[in-house]
Amino acid sequence: MALCRAAERAGRACAALLPRSCGSSGAYSTAPALSSRAGQQREASLRRRGRTSQVVRPHLAPRTEKMAVDQDWSSVYPTAAVFKPASVPLPIRMGYPVKRGVPPPKEGNLELMKIPNFLHLTPPAIKKHCAALRDFCTEWPSALDSDEKCEQHFPIEIETVDYVSAGTSIRNPKARVVTLRVKLSNLNLDEHARKKLVKLVGERYCADTDVLTITTDRCPLRRQNYDYSIHLLTVLYHESWKTEMWESEKSEEDMEEYVWENSCSQRNALATLLRIKASENLSAVTEEELLASEVVKNYRNSVIALKNEGETESNVSQYKESVKKLLNIQAVP
Amino acid sequence: MAAAAARSLRAVPCVLPAASRALHTSPACLKARAARARVGKGDRAVTYEQAHAPHYIAHRKGWLSLHTGNLAGEEGAAERALEDAFLRRFLYGTFPGMLADEVVLKRRANLLELCLLLARGLAPAKLYFLVGYTETLLSHFYKCPVRLHLQTVPTKVAYKYL
Repeated sequence: MALCRAAERAGRACAALLPRSCGSSGAYSTAPALSSRAGQQREASLRRRGRTSQVVRPHLAPRTEKMAVDQDWSSVYPTAAVFKPASVPLPIRMGYPVKRGVPPPKEGNLELMKIPNFLHLTPPAIKKHCAALRDFCTEWPSALDSDEKCEQHFPIEIETVDYVSAGTSIRNPKARVVTLRVKLSNLNLDEHARKKLVKLVGERYCADTDVLTITTDRCPLRRQNYDYSIHLLTVLYHESWKTEMWESEKSEEDMEEYVWENSCSQRNALATLLRIKASENLSAVTEEELLASEVVKNYRNSVIALKNEGETESNVSQYKESVKKLLNIQAVP
Repeated sequence: MAAAAARSLRAVPCVLPAASRALHTSPACLKARAARARVGKGDRAVTYEQAHAPHYIAHRKGWLSLHTGNLAGEEGAAERALEDAFLRRFLYGTFPGMLADEVVLKRRANLLELCLLLARGLAPAKLYFLVGYTETLLSHFYKCPVRLHLQTVPTKVAYKYL
Protein backbone atom coordinates (compact mmCIF):
# COMPACT_ATOMS: atom_id res chain seq x y z
CA MET A 1 0.00 0.00 0.00
CA ALA A 2 2.85 2.32 0.96
CA LEU A 3 4.64 1.48 -2.23
CA CYS A 4 1.46 2.36 -4.14
CA ARG A 5 1.27 5.75 -2.49
CA ALA A 6 4.95 6.41 -3.17
CA ALA A 7 4.43 5.55 -6.84
CA GLU A 8 1.49 7.98 -7.01
CA ARG A 9 3.55 10.79 -5.49
CA ALA A 10 6.41 10.05 -7.90
CA GLY A 11 3.97 10.10 -10.77
CA ARG A 12 2.58 13.48 -9.75
CA ALA A 13 6.09 14.84 -9.33
CA CYS A 14 6.91 13.69 -12.84
CA ALA A 15 3.84 15.48 -14.14
CA ALA A 16 4.89 18.66 -12.31
CA LEU A 17 8.37 18.48 -13.80
CA LEU A 18 7.03 17.97 -17.29
CA PRO A 19 6.35 21.64 -18.29
CA ARG A 20 9.87 22.63 -17.26
CA SER A 21 11.62 19.82 -19.12
CA CYS A 22 9.33 20.06 -22.15
CA GLY A 23 11.49 22.52 -24.00
CA SER A 24 14.75 20.66 -23.49
CA SER A 25 14.03 16.96 -23.99
CA GLY A 26 10.42 16.88 -25.12
CA ALA A 27 9.93 13.48 -23.56
CA TYR A 28 6.34 12.41 -23.12
CA SER A 29 5.22 11.09 -19.80
CA THR A 30 1.91 9.66 -18.74
CA ALA A 31 0.43 10.80 -15.44
CA PRO A 32 -1.97 8.25 -13.99
CA ALA A 33 -5.41 9.67 -13.27
CA LEU A 34 -5.69 8.96 -9.56
CA SER A 35 -8.04 11.62 -8.40
CA SER A 36 -11.05 9.98 -10.07
CA ARG A 37 -13.96 8.66 -8.10
CA ALA A 38 -13.44 5.17 -9.39
CA GLY A 39 -9.87 5.15 -8.17
CA GLN A 40 -10.90 6.31 -4.73
CA GLN A 41 -13.58 3.65 -4.66
CA ARG A 42 -10.96 1.05 -5.51
CA GLU A 43 -8.65 2.24 -2.75
CA ALA A 44 -11.53 2.22 -0.31
CA SER A 45 -12.45 -1.35 -1.22
CA LEU A 46 -8.81 -2.42 -0.88
CA ARG A 47 -8.59 -0.86 2.52
CA ARG A 48 -11.78 -2.62 3.55
CA ARG A 49 -10.33 -5.99 2.55
CA GLY A 50 -7.38 -5.42 4.76
CA ARG A 51 -4.56 -6.58 2.51
CA THR A 52 -4.02 -6.62 -1.25
CA SER A 53 -4.50 -9.93 -2.99
CA GLN A 54 -1.57 -9.21 -5.30
CA VAL A 55 2.00 -8.33 -4.48
CA VAL A 56 2.86 -4.84 -5.73
CA ARG A 57 6.22 -4.92 -7.42
CA PRO A 58 8.31 -1.86 -8.22
CA HIS A 59 8.03 -1.26 -11.93
CA LEU A 60 10.26 0.56 -14.40
CA ALA A 61 9.09 3.77 -16.02
CA PRO A 62 7.69 3.22 -19.50
CA ARG A 63 10.07 3.58 -22.41
CA THR A 64 8.09 6.52 -23.77
CA GLU A 65 9.66 8.81 -21.17
CA LYS A 66 13.12 8.33 -22.64
CA MET A 67 12.15 8.69 -26.30
CA ALA A 68 13.56 11.61 -28.30
CA VAL A 69 11.27 13.47 -30.65
CA ASP A 70 13.51 12.78 -33.64
CA GLN A 71 14.11 9.11 -32.91
CA ASP A 72 14.12 6.44 -35.60
CA TRP A 73 10.56 5.11 -35.36
CA SER A 74 11.23 2.15 -37.66
CA SER A 75 13.48 0.67 -34.98
CA VAL A 76 10.68 0.87 -32.39
CA TYR A 77 8.19 -0.88 -34.69
CA PRO A 78 10.25 -2.68 -37.36
CA THR A 79 7.57 -5.27 -38.12
CA ALA A 80 3.87 -5.65 -37.57
CA ALA A 81 3.41 -5.97 -33.83
CA VAL A 82 0.73 -5.59 -31.21
CA PHE A 83 0.13 -2.15 -29.73
CA LYS A 84 2.47 -1.61 -26.80
CA PRO A 85 1.35 1.37 -24.71
CA ALA A 86 4.77 1.72 -23.10
CA SER A 87 6.43 2.02 -26.51
CA VAL A 88 4.02 4.34 -28.29
CA PRO A 89 4.42 7.92 -27.01
CA LEU A 90 0.93 9.02 -27.98
CA PRO A 91 -1.93 9.88 -25.59
CA ILE A 92 -4.42 7.54 -27.25
CA ARG A 93 -7.73 6.66 -25.68
CA MET A 94 -10.02 3.98 -27.05
CA GLY A 95 -13.38 2.61 -26.05
CA TYR A 96 -16.87 3.72 -25.22
CA PRO A 97 -16.77 6.19 -22.33
CA VAL A 98 -18.67 5.63 -19.10
CA LYS A 99 -21.38 8.15 -18.38
CA ARG A 100 -19.82 11.59 -17.76
CA GLY A 101 -16.43 10.08 -18.42
CA VAL A 102 -13.80 9.76 -21.10
CA PRO A 103 -12.72 6.76 -23.17
CA PRO A 104 -10.36 4.47 -21.23
CA PRO A 105 -6.62 5.25 -21.49
CA LYS A 106 -4.12 3.18 -23.41
CA GLU A 107 -2.65 1.31 -20.40
CA GLY A 108 -4.22 -2.14 -20.24
CA ASN A 109 -6.58 -1.28 -23.09
CA LEU A 110 -7.61 -4.52 -24.72
CA GLU A 111 -9.39 -2.77 -27.58
CA LEU A 112 -6.14 -1.18 -28.74
CA MET A 113 -4.46 -4.59 -28.61
CA LYS A 114 -7.22 -6.27 -30.61
CA ILE A 115 -7.09 -4.06 -33.66
CA PRO A 116 -4.33 -4.38 -36.27
CA ASN A 117 -2.15 -1.27 -36.27
CA PHE A 118 0.05 0.21 -38.98
CA LEU A 119 2.70 1.70 -36.77
CA HIS A 120 5.30 -0.29 -38.71
CA LEU A 121 4.27 1.28 -42.04
CA THR A 122 5.14 4.96 -41.66
CA PRO A 123 6.33 6.63 -44.90
CA PRO A 124 10.02 6.63 -43.86
CA ALA A 125 9.76 2.91 -43.05
CA ILE A 126 8.20 2.18 -46.45
CA LYS A 127 10.96 4.20 -48.13
CA LYS A 128 13.52 2.00 -46.36
CA HIS A 129 11.69 -1.14 -47.55
CA CYS A 130 11.70 0.11 -51.16
CA ALA A 131 15.38 1.01 -50.99
CA ALA A 132 16.22 -2.46 -49.69
CA LEU A 133 14.08 -4.17 -52.33
CA ARG A 134 15.56 -2.13 -55.18
CA ASP A 135 18.68 -4.31 -55.17
CA PHE A 136 16.56 -7.30 -56.14
CA CYS A 137 14.67 -5.56 -58.95
CA THR A 138 15.62 -5.36 -62.63
CA GLU A 139 14.54 -2.76 -65.16
CA TRP A 140 11.52 -3.35 -67.40
CA PRO A 141 12.85 -4.27 -70.88
CA SER A 142 12.93 -1.05 -72.91
CA ALA A 143 11.80 -2.82 -76.09
CA LEU A 144 8.40 -3.59 -74.54
CA ASP A 145 7.14 -0.06 -74.11
CA SER A 146 3.56 -0.55 -75.37
CA ASP A 147 0.72 -3.06 -74.97
CA GLU A 148 0.79 -3.94 -78.65
CA LYS A 149 4.47 -4.86 -78.51
CA CYS A 150 3.86 -7.00 -75.44
CA GLU A 151 1.05 -8.79 -77.27
CA GLN A 152 3.15 -9.21 -80.37
CA HIS A 153 6.06 -10.82 -78.51
CA PHE A 154 4.03 -12.66 -75.86
CA PRO A 155 0.65 -13.53 -77.38
CA ILE A 156 -0.28 -16.19 -74.82
CA GLU A 157 -1.37 -14.96 -71.36
CA ILE A 158 -1.41 -17.37 -68.42
CA GLU A 159 -3.40 -16.41 -65.33
CA THR A 160 -2.94 -18.14 -61.97
CA VAL A 161 -4.07 -17.10 -58.50
CA ASP A 162 -2.17 -17.59 -55.23
CA TYR A 163 -4.15 -17.63 -51.99
CA VAL A 164 -2.86 -16.44 -48.63
CA SER A 165 -4.74 -17.19 -45.46
CA ALA A 166 -4.09 -17.26 -41.73
CA GLY A 167 -3.67 -20.76 -40.41
CA THR A 168 -1.32 -23.67 -40.09
CA SER A 169 -1.85 -24.91 -43.66
CA ILE A 170 -0.71 -23.12 -46.84
CA ARG A 171 -2.68 -25.43 -49.16
CA ASN A 172 -5.70 -24.05 -50.97
CA PRO A 173 -7.46 -26.20 -53.60
CA LYS A 174 -8.48 -23.08 -55.57
CA ALA A 175 -4.84 -22.36 -56.41
CA ARG A 176 -4.60 -25.09 -59.04
CA VAL A 177 -6.81 -23.27 -61.61
CA VAL A 178 -4.94 -22.05 -64.72
CA THR A 179 -6.48 -19.74 -67.36
CA LEU A 180 -4.86 -19.46 -70.79
CA ARG A 181 -5.82 -16.55 -73.09
CA VAL A 182 -4.73 -16.07 -76.69
CA LYS A 183 -5.98 -13.96 -79.60
CA LEU A 184 -6.77 -16.02 -82.69
CA SER A 185 -5.28 -13.32 -84.90
CA ASN A 186 -1.90 -14.23 -83.39
CA LEU A 187 -2.25 -17.84 -84.49
CA ASN A 188 -1.41 -18.97 -88.01
CA LEU A 189 -4.87 -20.07 -89.23
CA ASP A 190 -6.51 -20.00 -92.67
CA GLU A 191 -10.26 -19.53 -93.16
CA HIS A 192 -11.18 -23.19 -92.84
CA ALA A 193 -8.89 -23.72 -89.82
CA ARG A 194 -10.27 -20.65 -88.06
CA LYS A 195 -13.90 -21.67 -88.58
CA LYS A 196 -13.14 -25.22 -87.46
CA LEU A 197 -11.31 -24.00 -84.35
CA VAL A 198 -14.16 -21.72 -83.39
CA LYS A 199 -16.59 -24.62 -83.80
CA LEU A 200 -14.38 -26.91 -81.72
CA VAL A 201 -14.00 -24.57 -78.74
CA GLY A 202 -17.58 -23.36 -78.69
CA GLU A 203 -18.24 -21.06 -75.74
CA ARG A 204 -14.58 -20.50 -74.91
CA TYR A 205 -14.19 -18.09 -77.87
CA CYS A 206 -15.36 -14.49 -77.63
CA ALA A 207 -16.07 -13.06 -81.10
CA ASP A 208 -16.06 -9.42 -79.92
CA THR A 209 -12.51 -9.50 -78.59
CA ASP A 210 -11.23 -12.42 -80.70
CA VAL A 211 -9.88 -14.08 -77.55
CA LEU A 212 -9.80 -17.79 -76.87
CA THR A 213 -9.94 -18.57 -73.12
CA ILE A 214 -9.09 -22.04 -71.86
CA THR A 215 -9.57 -22.67 -68.11
CA THR A 216 -8.20 -25.91 -66.70
CA ASP A 217 -8.69 -27.23 -63.18
CA ARG A 218 -9.08 -30.97 -63.62
CA CYS A 219 -5.56 -31.84 -62.41
CA PRO A 220 -4.56 -31.61 -58.75
CA LEU A 221 -1.46 -29.46 -59.33
CA ARG A 222 -1.05 -26.10 -61.03
CA ARG A 223 1.88 -27.31 -63.11
CA GLN A 224 -0.18 -30.18 -64.45
CA ASN A 225 -3.06 -27.86 -65.33
CA TYR A 226 -0.68 -25.51 -67.14
CA ASP A 227 0.77 -28.39 -69.16
CA TYR A 228 -2.73 -29.60 -69.96
CA SER A 229 -3.86 -26.17 -71.21
CA ILE A 230 -0.79 -25.86 -73.46
CA HIS A 231 -1.48 -29.37 -74.75
CA LEU A 232 -5.10 -28.41 -75.48
CA LEU A 233 -4.01 -25.36 -77.47
CA THR A 234 -1.55 -27.46 -79.50
CA VAL A 235 -4.13 -30.14 -80.24
CA LEU A 236 -6.77 -27.56 -81.25
CA TYR A 237 -4.34 -25.83 -83.60
CA HIS A 238 -3.26 -29.02 -85.34
CA GLU A 239 -6.75 -30.48 -85.55
CA SER A 240 -8.18 -27.32 -87.10
CA TRP A 241 -5.66 -27.46 -89.93
CA LYS A 242 -6.66 -31.05 -90.80
CA THR A 243 -9.66 -31.63 -93.07
CA GLU A 244 -11.62 -34.77 -92.32
CA MET A 245 -13.61 -36.67 -94.95
CA TRP A 246 -16.95 -35.96 -93.30
CA GLU A 247 -16.37 -32.19 -93.42
CA SER A 248 -17.45 -32.21 -97.05
CA GLU A 249 -20.98 -32.99 -95.79
CA LYS A 250 -21.23 -29.49 -94.29
CA SER A 251 -24.75 -28.29 -94.98
CA GLU A 252 -26.44 -24.92 -94.90
CA GLU A 253 -27.40 -25.35 -91.21
CA ASP A 254 -23.74 -25.74 -90.22
CA MET A 255 -22.64 -22.51 -91.87
CA GLU A 256 -21.46 -19.81 -89.47
CA GLU A 257 -22.64 -16.92 -91.64
CA TYR A 258 -25.12 -16.51 -94.45
CA VAL A 259 -23.77 -17.31 -97.92
CA TRP A 260 -25.89 -16.08 -100.81
CA GLU A 261 -24.39 -18.28 -103.50
CA ASN A 262 -26.51 -21.42 -104.03
CA SER A 263 -29.15 -20.27 -101.56
CA CYS A 264 -32.92 -20.28 -102.13
CA SER A 265 -32.85 -16.47 -102.22
CA GLN A 266 -30.54 -16.55 -105.24
CA ARG A 267 -32.63 -19.24 -106.93
CA ASN A 268 -35.88 -17.34 -106.34
CA ALA A 269 -34.46 -14.02 -107.56
CA LEU A 270 -32.99 -15.55 -110.73
CA ALA A 271 -36.18 -17.51 -111.47
CA THR A 272 -38.33 -14.37 -111.04
CA LEU A 273 -36.07 -12.28 -113.27
CA LEU A 274 -35.96 -14.98 -115.98
CA ARG A 275 -39.77 -15.21 -116.00
CA ILE A 276 -40.06 -11.40 -116.19
CA LYS A 277 -37.63 -11.30 -119.09
CA ALA A 278 -39.42 -14.18 -120.87
CA SER A 279 -42.84 -12.55 -120.47
CA GLU A 280 -41.45 -9.30 -121.93
CA ASN A 281 -40.24 -11.32 -124.90
CA LEU A 282 -36.78 -9.81 -124.83
CA SER A 283 -33.65 -11.58 -125.94
CA ALA A 284 -32.86 -14.59 -123.72
CA VAL A 285 -30.55 -13.51 -120.99
CA THR A 286 -28.30 -16.05 -119.37
CA GLU A 287 -27.96 -16.61 -115.63
CA GLU A 288 -24.36 -15.41 -115.57
CA GLU A 289 -25.35 -12.11 -117.17
CA LEU A 290 -28.12 -11.69 -114.60
CA LEU A 291 -25.76 -12.49 -111.75
CA ALA A 292 -23.25 -9.96 -113.04
CA SER A 293 -25.87 -7.19 -113.34
CA GLU A 294 -25.94 -4.26 -110.91
CA VAL A 295 -29.45 -4.81 -109.55
CA VAL A 296 -28.82 -8.45 -108.65
CA LYS A 297 -25.54 -7.54 -106.98
CA ASN A 298 -27.32 -4.85 -104.93
CA TYR A 299 -30.01 -7.32 -103.91
CA ARG A 300 -27.36 -9.90 -102.94
CA ASN A 301 -25.51 -7.40 -100.71
CA SER A 302 -28.67 -6.22 -98.97
CA VAL A 303 -29.85 -9.81 -98.24
CA ILE A 304 -26.42 -10.77 -96.89
CA ALA A 305 -26.38 -7.66 -94.68
CA LEU A 306 -29.86 -8.41 -93.33
CA LYS A 307 -29.09 -12.04 -92.51
CA ASN A 308 -25.63 -11.55 -91.00
CA GLU A 309 -26.02 -8.29 -89.14
CA GLY A 310 -29.68 -8.46 -88.21
CA GLU A 311 -32.44 -5.94 -88.88
CA THR A 312 -31.41 -2.31 -88.57
CA GLU A 313 -32.96 0.84 -90.06
CA SER A 314 -30.32 1.17 -92.76
CA ASN A 315 -30.35 -2.57 -93.60
CA VAL A 316 -34.10 -2.73 -94.10
CA SER A 317 -34.22 0.47 -96.19
CA GLN A 318 -31.30 -0.80 -98.29
CA TYR A 319 -33.23 -4.05 -98.90
CA LYS A 320 -36.33 -2.06 -99.88
CA GLU A 321 -34.35 0.00 -102.43
CA SER A 322 -32.67 -3.06 -103.92
CA VAL A 323 -36.00 -4.94 -104.32
CA LYS A 324 -37.59 -1.90 -105.97
CA LYS A 325 -34.66 -1.68 -108.42
CA LEU A 326 -34.71 -5.46 -109.04
CA LEU A 327 -38.39 -5.63 -109.91
CA ASN A 328 -38.31 -2.19 -111.54
CA ILE A 329 -41.14 -0.82 -109.37
CA GLN A 330 -41.54 2.95 -109.44
CA ALA A 331 -42.35 4.76 -106.21
CA VAL A 332 -46.10 5.00 -105.58
CA PRO A 333 -47.05 8.72 -105.56
CA MET B 1 -79.64 -47.39 -14.12
CA ALA B 2 -76.83 -44.87 -14.64
CA ALA B 3 -74.44 -46.95 -12.55
CA ALA B 4 -75.15 -50.05 -14.62
CA ALA B 5 -74.58 -48.05 -17.82
CA ALA B 6 -71.27 -46.75 -16.47
CA ARG B 7 -70.13 -50.29 -15.51
CA SER B 8 -70.98 -51.56 -18.99
CA LEU B 9 -69.06 -48.69 -20.60
CA ARG B 10 -66.01 -49.50 -18.52
CA ALA B 11 -66.09 -53.12 -19.70
CA VAL B 12 -66.02 -52.10 -23.41
CA PRO B 13 -62.42 -51.52 -24.60
CA CYS B 14 -61.92 -47.90 -25.66
CA VAL B 15 -60.81 -47.77 -29.32
CA LEU B 16 -59.69 -44.21 -29.98
CA PRO B 17 -57.13 -42.99 -32.60
CA ALA B 18 -53.63 -42.79 -31.07
CA ALA B 19 -53.23 -39.26 -29.68
CA SER B 20 -50.51 -38.30 -27.24
CA ARG B 21 -49.47 -35.06 -25.63
CA ALA B 22 -45.82 -34.52 -25.00
CA LEU B 23 -43.65 -31.59 -23.98
CA HIS B 24 -41.25 -30.45 -26.71
CA THR B 25 -37.90 -29.49 -25.24
CA SER B 26 -34.73 -28.14 -26.74
CA PRO B 27 -31.43 -27.56 -24.95
CA ALA B 28 -31.55 -24.43 -22.82
CA CYS B 29 -29.89 -21.59 -24.73
CA LEU B 30 -30.13 -18.64 -22.31
CA LYS B 31 -29.26 -16.24 -25.12
CA ALA B 32 -30.46 -13.28 -23.10
CA ARG B 33 -28.05 -14.00 -20.25
CA ALA B 34 -24.88 -14.93 -22.18
CA ALA B 35 -21.65 -13.05 -21.43
CA ARG B 36 -23.48 -10.37 -19.44
CA ALA B 37 -22.26 -9.15 -16.09
CA ARG B 38 -25.32 -8.58 -13.92
CA VAL B 39 -25.68 -5.36 -11.98
CA GLY B 40 -24.87 -5.74 -8.28
CA LYS B 41 -24.09 -3.58 -5.26
CA GLY B 42 -21.51 -1.41 -6.99
CA ASP B 43 -18.36 -2.86 -5.43
CA ARG B 44 -17.46 -5.40 -8.15
CA ALA B 45 -14.99 -4.09 -10.73
CA VAL B 46 -15.56 -5.24 -14.29
CA THR B 47 -13.25 -4.75 -17.25
CA TYR B 48 -14.33 -3.15 -20.54
CA GLU B 49 -14.59 -6.63 -22.03
CA GLN B 50 -16.88 -7.95 -19.29
CA ALA B 51 -18.98 -4.80 -19.06
CA HIS B 52 -20.17 -4.98 -22.67
CA ALA B 53 -22.67 -7.61 -23.76
CA PRO B 54 -22.24 -9.63 -26.97
CA HIS B 55 -24.51 -7.37 -29.00
CA TYR B 56 -21.89 -4.64 -28.66
CA ILE B 57 -19.39 -6.65 -30.71
CA ALA B 58 -18.51 -4.67 -33.85
CA HIS B 59 -20.10 -1.59 -32.24
CA ARG B 60 -18.13 -0.99 -29.05
CA LYS B 61 -16.02 -4.14 -28.87
CA GLY B 62 -13.61 -5.70 -31.32
CA TRP B 63 -12.89 -9.38 -31.87
CA LEU B 64 -10.61 -11.30 -29.55
CA SER B 65 -9.41 -13.63 -32.30
CA LEU B 66 -8.42 -12.48 -35.79
CA HIS B 67 -8.01 -14.94 -38.63
CA THR B 68 -9.21 -15.43 -42.20
CA GLY B 69 -11.16 -18.64 -41.59
CA ASN B 70 -14.53 -16.90 -41.24
CA LEU B 71 -14.32 -15.00 -44.53
CA ALA B 72 -16.45 -16.07 -47.49
CA GLY B 73 -14.83 -18.83 -49.52
CA GLU B 74 -12.11 -19.53 -46.96
CA GLU B 75 -11.53 -22.81 -45.19
CA GLY B 76 -10.38 -23.76 -41.75
CA ALA B 77 -12.89 -21.88 -39.59
CA ALA B 78 -13.61 -24.87 -37.39
CA GLU B 79 -9.93 -25.72 -36.94
CA ARG B 80 -9.14 -22.14 -35.91
CA ALA B 81 -12.06 -22.12 -33.47
CA LEU B 82 -10.81 -25.33 -31.86
CA GLU B 83 -7.28 -23.94 -31.64
CA ASP B 84 -8.61 -20.77 -30.02
CA ALA B 85 -10.53 -22.72 -27.38
CA PHE B 86 -7.49 -24.83 -26.52
CA LEU B 87 -5.15 -21.83 -26.41
CA ARG B 88 -7.38 -19.91 -24.02
CA ARG B 89 -7.60 -22.84 -21.62
CA PHE B 90 -3.89 -23.48 -21.87
CA LEU B 91 -2.98 -19.87 -21.11
CA TYR B 92 -5.52 -19.66 -18.30
CA GLY B 93 -3.77 -22.59 -16.68
CA THR B 94 -0.18 -21.59 -17.44
CA PHE B 95 -0.56 -18.13 -15.89
CA PRO B 96 -2.74 -18.97 -12.92
CA GLY B 97 -4.52 -16.00 -11.42
CA MET B 98 -2.46 -13.51 -13.42
CA LEU B 99 -4.56 -12.96 -16.52
CA ALA B 100 -6.10 -9.51 -16.13
CA ASP B 101 -8.29 -9.86 -19.22
CA GLU B 102 -9.09 -12.16 -22.12
CA VAL B 103 -6.28 -13.31 -24.38
CA VAL B 104 -6.12 -11.66 -27.80
CA LEU B 105 -5.16 -14.11 -30.56
CA LYS B 106 -3.80 -12.85 -33.84
CA ARG B 107 -2.85 -14.98 -36.81
CA ARG B 108 -0.64 -13.63 -39.56
CA ALA B 109 -0.16 -16.30 -42.26
CA ASN B 110 1.55 -19.09 -40.34
CA LEU B 111 2.43 -17.06 -37.27
CA LEU B 112 0.32 -17.17 -34.12
CA GLU B 113 0.56 -14.14 -31.83
CA LEU B 114 -0.85 -14.35 -28.33
CA CYS B 115 -1.31 -11.00 -26.61
CA LEU B 116 -1.70 -11.26 -22.86
CA LEU B 117 -2.58 -8.71 -20.24
CA LEU B 118 -1.03 -9.81 -16.95
CA ALA B 119 -1.14 -8.47 -13.46
CA ARG B 120 2.22 -8.00 -11.76
CA GLY B 121 2.46 -10.87 -9.34
CA LEU B 122 5.40 -12.93 -10.53
CA ALA B 123 9.11 -12.33 -10.58
CA PRO B 124 10.41 -11.42 -14.05
CA ALA B 125 12.64 -14.48 -14.23
CA LYS B 126 9.70 -16.82 -13.62
CA LEU B 127 7.65 -14.88 -16.13
CA TYR B 128 10.31 -15.28 -18.80
CA PHE B 129 10.42 -18.99 -18.13
CA LEU B 130 6.67 -19.29 -18.57
CA VAL B 131 6.83 -17.29 -21.80
CA GLY B 132 9.54 -19.54 -23.22
CA TYR B 133 7.74 -22.66 -22.06
CA THR B 134 4.48 -21.55 -23.69
CA GLU B 135 6.08 -20.52 -26.96
CA THR B 136 8.12 -23.72 -27.32
CA LEU B 137 5.37 -26.10 -26.33
CA LEU B 138 2.70 -24.48 -28.49
CA SER B 139 4.96 -24.19 -31.54
CA HIS B 140 5.80 -27.86 -31.30
CA PHE B 141 2.16 -28.69 -30.79
CA TYR B 142 0.74 -26.64 -33.65
CA LYS B 143 3.80 -26.82 -35.94
CA CYS B 144 3.81 -23.08 -36.51
CA PRO B 145 5.79 -20.18 -35.00
CA VAL B 146 4.14 -18.91 -31.81
CA ARG B 147 4.93 -15.52 -30.25
CA LEU B 148 3.77 -14.28 -26.91
CA HIS B 149 3.35 -10.55 -26.24
CA LEU B 150 2.96 -9.53 -22.63
CA GLN B 151 1.66 -6.34 -21.14
CA THR B 152 1.63 -5.99 -17.38
CA VAL B 153 -0.70 -3.77 -15.42
CA PRO B 154 -0.60 -3.08 -11.67
CA THR B 155 -4.19 -4.32 -11.15
CA LYS B 156 -7.10 -5.37 -13.28
CA VAL B 157 -8.17 -2.32 -15.27
CA ALA B 158 -11.62 -1.46 -13.98
CA TYR B 159 -13.98 0.13 -16.48
CA LYS B 160 -17.07 0.11 -14.33
CA TYR B 161 -18.24 -0.99 -10.91
CA LEU B 162 -21.35 -3.15 -11.00
